[in-house]
Amino acid sequence: MRIEFQMEGGIAHFPGLSRPVVIDSQALSPEDNNELSRLVEAARFFERPTVASAPRSGAADYRQYTIAVDDGERQHTIRLADPVDDPTLQPLLHFLQARARALRRGGGS
Amino acid sequence: MGQHRHNQQPICSILPPHIIDALVQRGTARQRARALRTLAVDHTLRALRASPRTIAPSGRRRPSALAEDTATQRTIYNAHNTETLPGDMVRSEGGAPSGDQTVDEAYDGLGATHDFYLTTYNRNSIDDEGLPMLATVHFGEDYNNAFWNGEQMVFGDGDGEIFNRFTISLDVIGHELTHGVTEDEAQLIYFFQSGALNESVSDVFGSLVKQRALNQTADQADWLIGAGLFTANINGVALRSMKAPGTAYDDPVLGKDPQPAHMNDYVRGFADNGGVHINSGIPNHAFYLAATQIGGYAWEKAGRIWYETLLDAQLRPTANFQRFASLTLAHAEKLFGPGSPERQAVSQAWNAVGIAVT
Repeated sequence: MRIEFQMEGGIAHFPGLSRPVVIDSQALSPEDNNELSRLVEAARFFERPTVASAPRSGAADYRQYTIAVDDGERQHTIRLADPVDDPTLQPLLHFLQARARALRRGGGS
Repeated sequence: MGQHRHNQQPICSILPPHIIDALVQRGTARQRARALRTLAVDHTLRALRASPRTIAPSGRRRPSALAEDTATQRTIYNAHNTETLPGDMVRSEGGAPSGDQTVDEAYDGLGATHDFYLTTYNRNSIDDEGLPMLATVHFGEDYNNAFWNGEQMVFGDGDGEIFNRFTISLDVIGHELTHGVTEDEAQLIYFFQSGALNESVSDVFGSLVKQRALNQTADQADWLIGAGLFTANINGVALRSMKAPGTAYDDPVLGKDPQPAHMNDYVRGFADNGGVHINSGIPNHAFYLAATQIGGYAWEKAGRIWYETLLDAQLRPTANFQRFASLTLAHAEKLFGPGSPERQAVSQAWNAVGIAVT
């Protein structure tokens, strides 16, 4: 599975934090790989509308996320905006954020 | 003046939604990126159309705040590191300090912001009608942001690696609350130049809240937004500098502060809702120049001019920098006279950042 993840926005625009990162499940540990697959399925990711959660009128400084998943058979992209309180999307988002943070630190995936 | 060309649509907006959706899911990388931007813009415009406040009333000013109850009504909630709003109420108006530094900073920051608007501009809270002020702290886990969700303020604790807690900066609290004021008065659309104006207005009044709390004149102020937010790991002093946009940070993790100070360096693109936190450097710097040229306490004259501009029904939700600049000039003239040094300072400030006004 290949996931492209991007976080944008927030109270300031940080070029270093808004660069998209690619998470290749084959580069993950077997545990993380299984966990990622489980989170994608639990979130019913491929059935989600493209705009899965959007900011309400008048909101500002919210972060936005773009998640594109290619599992070899299916490809799908969704866009989220904070606050993401969907109980199945939230853990997937947290997983991707943690991986993105590790990649930015140069720790690989 | 190239700034009028910013407003091109990301992709032909007459495409039906299912075609845009198909491009997102099955288009080339370029088509997908453009279609995603269209969806983002489309959503904002739809939300705006659905809002009854889209059409500004003819007379936006309400009766004097003096006729109403102007007491502060603050409520602070604790999300306990979840992302569910608003969370549990932990301190309400008049309540004793909670002992939780973040809760009490939010409470005090909202108080300072309410007092700033009431005392300086006779504005009674966010909507000038005494709207209760709500804030949630301890939002999310290691959450690196603060935002206005359209109804309330939300503050993360920061991850301790890049960011400290987001209540640490009084100007950030003033910034978030001012998003509510802007939404109530002008509904500046959160894209491109109108979005950058929305951001700049929040920086201007956020900074003025801090300056007033510290009793600083324009030449004494640091004109930084978010000083103290970064941990010692980060090579930077703040999120933004109104005095010197583009110099607030330069760091291996964050990158370099992308803010321009002049229209010659205007950043075109779709990132950050069309650069709302990037190009806001230009009107931010214009305000700094006007305020320091006028001298004294910045909230008294320059701030008053900007505030009257925000209240002006001629400031439409789609306003660009040029329009905003012209209105500030009209208000400088109305408040201080056509030949006044204040009007001249405002005119010079906009011209200095590449917005030609006379």
